[in-house]
Amino acid sequence: MAAPGFIIAALVFSCLAANSCAVTFSSLPNNLIVSASTKQGQVLKAGEDKITITWSLNTSLPAGTDSSYHMVEVKLCYAPISQQDRAWRRTEDDLTRDKTCQHKIVTRPYSRSNNTFTWTVQKDVPTATYFIRAYVQNSHDEECAYGQTTDSHKATNLFDVQAISGRHASLDIASVCFSAFSIVSLFGFFFMEKRKAKSSQQK
Amino acid sequence: MADIEGYPGSSMHGVTGREPVLAFSVASPMVPTDTTAKFDLPVDSEHKAKKFKIFSFANPHMRTFHLSWISFFTCFVSTFAAAPLVPIIRDNLNLTKSDIGNAGVASVSGSIFSRLVMGAVCDLVGPRYGCVFLIMLSAPTVFCMSFVSSAGGYLAVRFMIGFSLATFVSCQFWMSTMFNSKIIGLVNGTAAGWGNMGGGATQLIMPFLYDIIKRTGATPFTAWRIAFFIPGWLHVIMGILVITLGQDLPDGNLSTLQKKGDVAKDQFGKVFWNAVTNYRTWIFVLLYGYSMGVELSTDNVIAEYFYDRFDLNLHTAGIIAATFGMANLVARPFGGFASDYTAKRFGMRGRLWTVWILQTLGGAFCLLLGRSNSLPLAVTFMIIFSIGAQAACGATFGIIPFISRRSLGVISGMTGAGGNFGSGLTQLLFFTSSKYSTATGLTYMGIMIMACTLPVTLVHFPQWGSMFLPPTKDTVKGTEEHYYSSEYTEEEKAKGMHQNSLKFAENSRSERGNRVASAPTPPSSTPNHV
Repeated sequence: MAAPGFIIAALVFSCLAANSCAVTFSSLPNNLIVSASTKQGQVLKAGEDKITITWSLNTSLPAGTDSSYHMVEVKLCYAPISQQDRAWRRTEDDLTRDKTCQHKIVTRPYSRSNNTFTWTVQKDVPTATYFIRAYVQNSHDEECAYGQTTDSHKATNLFDVQAISGRHASLDIASVCFSAFSIVSLFGFFFMEKRKAKSSQQK
Repeated sequence: MADIEGYPGSSMHGVTGREPVLAFSVASPMVPTDTTAKFDLPVDSEHKAKKFKIFSFANPHMRTFHLSWISFFTCFVSTFAAAPLVPIIRDNLNLTKSDIGNAGVASVSGSIFSRLVMGAVCDLVGPRYGCVFLIMLSAPTVFCMSFVSSAGGYLAVRFMIGFSLATFVSCQFWMSTMFNSKIIGLVNGTAAGWGNMGGGATQLIMPFLYDIIKRTGATPFTAWRIAFFIPGWLHVIMGILVITLGQDLPDGNLSTLQKKGDVAKDQFGKVFWNAVTNYRTWIFVLLYGYSMGVELSTDNVIAEYFYDRFDLNLHTAGIIAATFGMANLVARPFGGFASDYTAKRFGMRGRLWTVWILQTLGGAFCLLLGRSNSLPLAVTFMIIFSIGAQAACGATFGIIPFISRRSLGVISGMTGAGGNFGSGLTQLLFFTSSKYSTATGLTYMGIMIMACTLPVTLVHFPQWGSMFLPPTKDTVKGTEEHYYSSEYTEEEKAKGMHQNSLKFAENSRSERGNRVASAPTPPSSTPNHV
C-alpha cells in the first residue's frame, strides 16, 4: 500500500515544478505615450462606435532607448472595476499569465511618432469599463516597454463599452415557433392516441 | 410465484454473487420461457424479456431500452449544455463568478423535486407518457436560452431545464415493464451509466456546434444562442420518437396501465418512516452526494476550469471535459462489478470497503487535480477522479438493496435526491464565491469528499458486521431474517406482510462472504438506480 503513495508524492512534486520563463509587467518601462479619442466615462457601442488611438515614444528619454523596439501591439484592457469577482480577467505580474488585456486592437511595426489607428469596437467585446494599453515588443516577441491611456492605478480616463445583446428578433421568433410546435405536437399525439384507444375499445 | 408487487423494476441482480455478475440472460429453468409468444427475444410469462441484446432495436423490449436511455441522455445534454459555453456566456451576460455558480446550483436543484413528482406521474399515467410529457414540455425551456439577457434570466432558464433530469425515473420505470427482474439490474445500470454520459458528450457537442455556427458568420454572442437550438430539437425529436415508436407494455399500448392484483400492499407512510429511521439510509444519502453529487458539479465547472487555467480554446477544453463524463460508459458498471466481486469473498464487508476505497480515491485525485499546474498531470488526475467517483456510484447501489427490503424504493429515491443535493451544496460552497479560485475549490472539494466518505465505516449490519467490526454473536439478532423482519410490527407480521422479506433474507445470506456454503437463486426487489 506504500507504493501508490510514493508514486502520488512523486507526481505531486513534479507538477509543482512546472514553471515558465516570463517577462513581468513591473519590469517594463512606461516609455510610450498613448492617447485615445475617448473621454472619461464615455459609453461606446460595440459594433458601431470608433476609437482613434495615437501613440509615440516619450521624447524626454535618452537616445538609443528604442534600439531594440520592433513591433507595437495595442490592446483593450479591463479596468479594475470590471475585474471584480471575475477571476478570468485578473491582473498578474507574469505577462504570460496576465489576463487584463484580452482584446487585440492592432499590431504595427514600431516607429517613433505619427502612429494613429481608428478602430471600430468589435461585436464580441463585452460590457465593461476599459482603458487602452500598447506593448512594445522586440524581434523575439518579448515585451520591452509599454504605454497606456490611464495612470499607474488604472483609475483615470476610463471608458465604457456597451456590448451587443446577441439576441435577434429572428431567433426569438424561431424559438417561440419551435416551442409551440413541441407543445402542440405533444397534445396532438396524446389526443390522437386517446381517440384510437377509445375507438378500438368500442369495436 | 408471480412477483407482482406493483413496484416496477424488481431485481437484486448480482446480489448473491452466485449468479454470473454480468449476466446478459436468464436461463430457462430459473424463469420459464413463454414459448407461445412471438418476440425477438425469449420472454417470461409476463412477456418481459429474459435476454438483453444490446445492439438490437427490435420492438418492443430493446427498442424501449434504446428510446429510454437516449431520452435520458438528451436531458443530460441539455441540462449541462451551458457549462462548456460559459466562457462566452459570461461575457455576453456580464456574469460574475457568483452568478455562474448560482446558475450551476439551480441546474441540479430542480430535479430533486421533479424526480419525486415523476414517480407519482409514472404511477398514474405510465412511464411512456411521463417521459414524453417531460421531454416535450422542457423543450421550450431549452429554446428560451435565446431570450436570456441577464444573470437572473440565465439562472431561471438553467433551473427550468434541470427539471428534465427526472426522465431518469420514467425511463427506469418503463424498462422494468419490459425486462425480467433477474436482468433488470444490469439493464437499468447500463441505462444509468449511458444516460449520465450525456453530461460528458455535451462538453464536446456544444463547443463544436458553436464553432461551426461562428464559421457561418454569426457573432459569438449570437452563435451560442443558436447552438442551444440543437438540444432543443433533440428534445422534440426524442419526444416524437418515444410517443410514436414506443409502447407501454410488451403486448401493446393501453390507455391506462392495468394494475394487476393489489398493487399497494403496504402503506406509504409506514414505508417512508421505516426508511428515515434507519441510520444507514442517511449515511448513504450523504455518500451519494459526494459521488454522484461531485460528478454533476464537476460537469458544470470542468470545461471552464481548463479554459481559464491552462489557456486552452473552447474546443480543446470541451474535449478534455468530455472525457470526465464519458468515463461513465464503463466506470459506473465497473463499480457495481467490483462490489459484487468483493462480496463473493468478503460479503458485505467487501462491499463497504469497495465503496470507501473507490470514493476516497476519487476524492484524493480531485484534490490533486486542483493542485496540478501542468496540463498532462491535470488530465490524468481528472480521469482517475472520474473513475473513482463514478465507480463509487455503481458500488453504492450494490449496497442500497440490503439496507431495507421494505423501503427499498424510498431509500433509492432518497439516495438519488441526496446526489443532486450534494451537487448543489458543493457548487455553492466551492465554486460560487470569489474568495478562492476554481483550482482551490476543487482541492477543498476533494478534501470534503474524503471526509464525507468516512461515515461508511459506521455502517453496521448485525448479521454481517461492518468495515471493522464482526457480526454480532447473538444468535437471534445475528440472522438476516431478524434484521429484515424487524422492519414490520408484530401485527403486520401476523398478517404475513413480511413473507417476501423472509425469502429475501434467506437469499441475502451470501453477504456473509465465502463462509456461506450455498444460497439459492435470489427473488426480487428493486434498486431504482437514480
